[in-house]
Amino acid sequence: MVKPSKDEIHYLLLKLHSLTGIVPIGAFLVIHICVNSLRTVGVWPYQLSIDAINSIPFLLVVEITFIYIPLLFHSVMGFYVASIAKTNTHRYRYPRNALYTLQRLSGAVVFVFLVYHLGTTVGPKLWEGKHHFEAAPFLIDIMNGEFKTWQGILIYAIGIVSATFHFSNGLWGFCVSWGILIGKSAQRNGAIVFAMIGLALTVLGLATVAEFNMNPLPAEATVVR
Amino acid sequence: MTNRKKKVVIVGGGLAGLALAMKFCERNGEATVVSYQSLKRSHSVCAQGGINAAIDAKNEGDTPEKHFYDTIKGGDFLAHQPLVRDMCHQAPTIINLMDRMGVAFNRTGEGHLDFRRFGGTLFNRTAFAGATTGQQLVYALDEQVRRHVHDGSAKTLEWHEYLGAVLDAEGICRGAVIHDLRTDEIYTLKADAVVLATGGPGQVYGRSTNSVVNTGAAATTAYMQGAKFANGEFIQIHPTAIPGQDKLRLMSESARGEGGRVWVPRDGNDNRNPREIPENERYYFLEEKYPLFKNLVPRDVASREIYDIVYNQNLGVSGDPMVYLDLTHKSREFLDNRLGGILDIYTKFTGADPRETPMKIFPAVHYSMGGLWTDYGPDSNGMIDHASPKNQMTSIRGLYAAGEADYQYHGANRLGANSLLSCIYTGLMMARGVMNYMDSLEKSADDISSTVFDDARSHWKSRFNDIKNMNGSENPHKLHHELGDIMLANVLIVRDNKSLEKASHEIEEIETRFKNVKCLDTTDWVNPSPSFINQLYCMIHLSKIITKGALMRDEFRGSHYKPDFDLSQPKDFDPHEYIEYLEQKQYGDVTEGKFPPGHLDYMKRFEENNEKWLKTTVAQYKNNQPQITYEEVNTSLVTPRPRKYD
Amino acid sequence: MTEKTTTIKIKRQDKPGSPSYWQTFEVPDKPFANIISCLMDIQKTPTTEDGKTVNPVTWDCNCLEEVCGSCTMLINGQVRQACTALVDNLKKPIVLEPMSKFPVLRDLQVDRERMFDNLKKVKAWIEIDGSHDIGAGPIMPDQDRAKRYVMSECMTCGCCLEACPQFTQDNSFLGAATFNQVRLFNLHPSGEMKKEDRLDAIMGEGGITDCGNAQVCVEVCPKNIPLTESIADISRQTTWQMIKNLLIK
Repeated sequence: MVKPSKDEIHYLLLKLHSLTGIVPIGAFLVIHICVNSLRTVGVWPYQLSIDAINSIPFLLVVEITFIYIPLLFHSVMGFYVASIAKTNTHRYRYPRNALYTLQRLSGAVVFVFLVYHLGTTVGPKLWEGKHHFEAAPFLIDIMNGEFKTWQGILIYAIGIVSATFHFSNGLWGFCVSWGILIGKSAQRNGAIVFAMIGLALTVLGLATVAEFNMNPLPAEATVVR
Repeated sequence: MTNRKKKVVIVGGGLAGLALAMKFCERNGEATVVSYQSLKRSHSVCAQGGINAAIDAKNEGDTPEKHFYDTIKGGDFLAHQPLVRDMCHQAPTIINLMDRMGVAFNRTGEGHLDFRRFGGTLFNRTAFAGATTGQQLVYALDEQVRRHVHDGSAKTLEWHEYLGAVLDAEGICRGAVIHDLRTDEIYTLKADAVVLATGGPGQVYGRSTNSVVNTGAAATTAYMQGAKFANGEFIQIHPTAIPGQDKLRLMSESARGEGGRVWVPRDGNDNRNPREIPENERYYFLEEKYPLFKNLVPRDVASREIYDIVYNQNLGVSGDPMVYLDLTHKSREFLDNRLGGILDIYTKFTGADPRETPMKIFPAVHYSMGGLWTDYGPDSNGMIDHASPKNQMTSIRGLYAAGEADYQYHGANRLGANSLLSCIYTGLMMARGVMNYMDSLEKSADDISSTVFDDARSHWKSRFNDIKNMNGSENPHKLHHELGDIMLANVLIVRDNKSLEKASHEIEEIETRFKNVKCLDTTDWVNPSPSFINQLYCMIHLSKIITKGALMRDEFRGSHYKPDFDLSQPKDFDPHEYIEYLEQKQYGDVTEGKFPPGHLDYMKRFEENNEKWLKTTVAQYKNNQPQITYEEVNTSLVTPRPRKYD
Repeated sequence: MTEKTTTIKIKRQDKPGSPSYWQTFEVPDKPFANIISCLMDIQKTPTTEDGKTVNPVTWDCNCLEEVCGSCTMLINGQVRQACTALVDNLKKPIVLEPMSKFPVLRDLQVDRERMFDNLKKVKAWIEIDGSHDIGAGPIMPDQDRAKRYVMSECMTCGCCLEACPQFTQDNSFLGAATFNQVRLFNLHPSGEMKKEDRLDAIMGEGGITDCGNAQVCVEVCPKNIPLTESIADISRQTTWQMIKNLLIK
């Protein structure tokens, strides 16, 4: 095999950056928000879903392969992409230009949020060694704590909105960068569809937060099966 | 010197220069293109309507011979016929070549080249790429030259100005003096041939349809170095331009070719919105006067009629010097597809949309039929021998001219869409001759003593030093404006000797005042001031060539209209009568009764006038003045006859 | 009689690398005046508002009808051609600056050589066999021609690059104008023969993946070239090229 040139690597890395944002990260985001939103339907579906996920064999390996490595890659590349941008939205006030700037900003916000989110959930879970059926009550307890305070709600609201925006706008960007949406009207129609997807995810996410806040679930209730 | 790499310096990056550079590199020569600015920005991009070639795509029976005849007749028989004939026969090949290079020519339903009608012909003969044909052609040639630059066979010197030719003791051109417009350095380039493809002189008139760089300075410098300048007085006034402060922007003839109608309200005081004026209260003066060619009469005719409507009949729109050019009867989709570019330009500069409201236009200085005198080598078939080193050579050996900078192809008036053709044609056609000329030289530029080059360089260095030291009270830009005003007021569409004499005096005054010019900027980095002053000096001399030529030519021919010398063609005259008359004369039995009353007298006047004036004006620089002589025109193929378009 | 005037603030610079400074001029109002005619007036009277005589402002221009691409500059902070900037339609005082993404040569003049170099990088030409007579060009549907025509109106003016947040003086981004040229030539039946070369040239650092889809280019393009469509189309072409390179070659 011929050794790829620097230019080829550059091209592939950026293409991969765009792709990882959709699969697996975007896909995980959708699943994560949808699954968590089961909380608004009832306690049992929610708990079952967490149980199911935490029962996946070699969960940590799966998570590292399909979430943490892509996420780390996407973040590192994302910071590189943002670093070469010389935003000029103040000068050229066009909607797409504003979205360009927001995409970079939201990416950074999501990164900070994820550090917090993982540091307060998955981190302690692994530290305390809560596996399988022990995970759900442990995590639910943490979330109950988060959503008791307005600060917690605010952090999650910002995190969720940033993530869903970054995802849906990124989905559009992916479709353009991979040459799926080409014409002007195709790009506009795509933008409308992705905006609706983003809005739906945002509503689901925020509804889940609201449910936690208004109707906290006692952690001990979940232990009994 | 057959084995040496042939080196040519081409001044100008428009169609003619680029076409030559491409051809020269293809033939393994080395071309250096000197350009005042980045390539791709030359004035050729302004050409809008199209390029002529008698391909007969519409099955109308068009042929290159008919194209040739239309061109000769349009130019009032002042062009050398073998050249024009050769050009017209090469035209289809040129269109095909440009098409192969990727020019986005409009196409027919079957995917072939589409053609439209232009002025001075009854055939659909004009290939076009939207409304920016010139731009598209320049880009295609520029791309090919860029490819040769990429391959190393062509060089470009952008942001460089040509100052003059390097002439050796025998008066042979051995190179060019070049001015780097950024670093202010002046140096020489050695070359066995220098080609001036430097375009027209529109800036002499201050405001015209020409670009800012079209000062005619390079050609004028050649004239001052001894080259002959021909037919300077033949300046084409384009009938339709958009009035403006800095420039009179062209409204292409294609607007009329696609159905545009020229009219004014029948009542000069009618200030209604033009769309509210009913059909019977509109005066479609071109259609009424010229029922055959209608709005597509040649440019000189249309410009004179508009001038007449405005100044003699006082029918200008709202009393202003403007007439309507109306396209509102055409569908928006049609206009966008065929004329989009130029209609947008009108909207951008006037704020009005020509799809909704008739455009207001007036004639403007557009093109110089005249230029540096150049030679040609005819073959035995009434065409041109492309191998002849004489082709396009000026009266200075080794110095060539091409494109609008030469004089040979358009006679006394150019037909629309022939300029792009003549530019590309000259560039391509001359390449072989230039190479053969180089082969014929005993000594190459490299064998010439370096003092020849040093002298030329120091001459221009001290010239520019002197300019920088000019510290008078005259602002050169104001002086240029005044020169333009003099030319616009006296040497335009309608000419009379009194005004021309007045103009001559006023130009002399400008020349005197020029000595008192102030060099506004004396820095030595990207400083356009000294260059402009040098160009202004050239423009003053060029205006003298134009004015003196116009003053001396006491006749009415093509764009040169002197009402005092109008032969007053009878209204019912048929040009064929003249051929008949000549035949009768040949057999010695001219009978008065054979022609309608007055026609014979007219024909005799016409014949007599042709004997005196069917000549090329040649200006030579003597004692700071143009010295005018006249040369025979090659009319070996078509008998000159009176023009008629109705 | 007091003439009505318009105030024009101009950012000036004597040499590359030397500090810039501002000067203000009062220019008499005239009908149909544009920025070019104002600059020409300044040449005729190079005096600032405080009565100081200065070197006339230098700027690039040529055709004055928005087809040569020379006179691009920042007018009231927005990149555009000076010739089509009619004084009546502009906010006063008018502020003129040179483009910021290209090295300033002097005053309002910048060096746009990079754009022309990029044309060489992507082989923006058709490799004809020669200019001799070898018959007609390829037959082409007029709708394809129309598509190409719009793209080929690019006059290398630099507006799209000036307004692009990804294009800076110290990176190697090719920018919308160049990508548009790749599409233009890949769309031509003969040009297509070098398609892979052109795509390879834009699949690297500074290439197509460096586009951030801010889409300001298409908003500021004076010729309304569908630049974003070109970018997306070229993205598709490079995607296939990548797949081909990875899986087929």
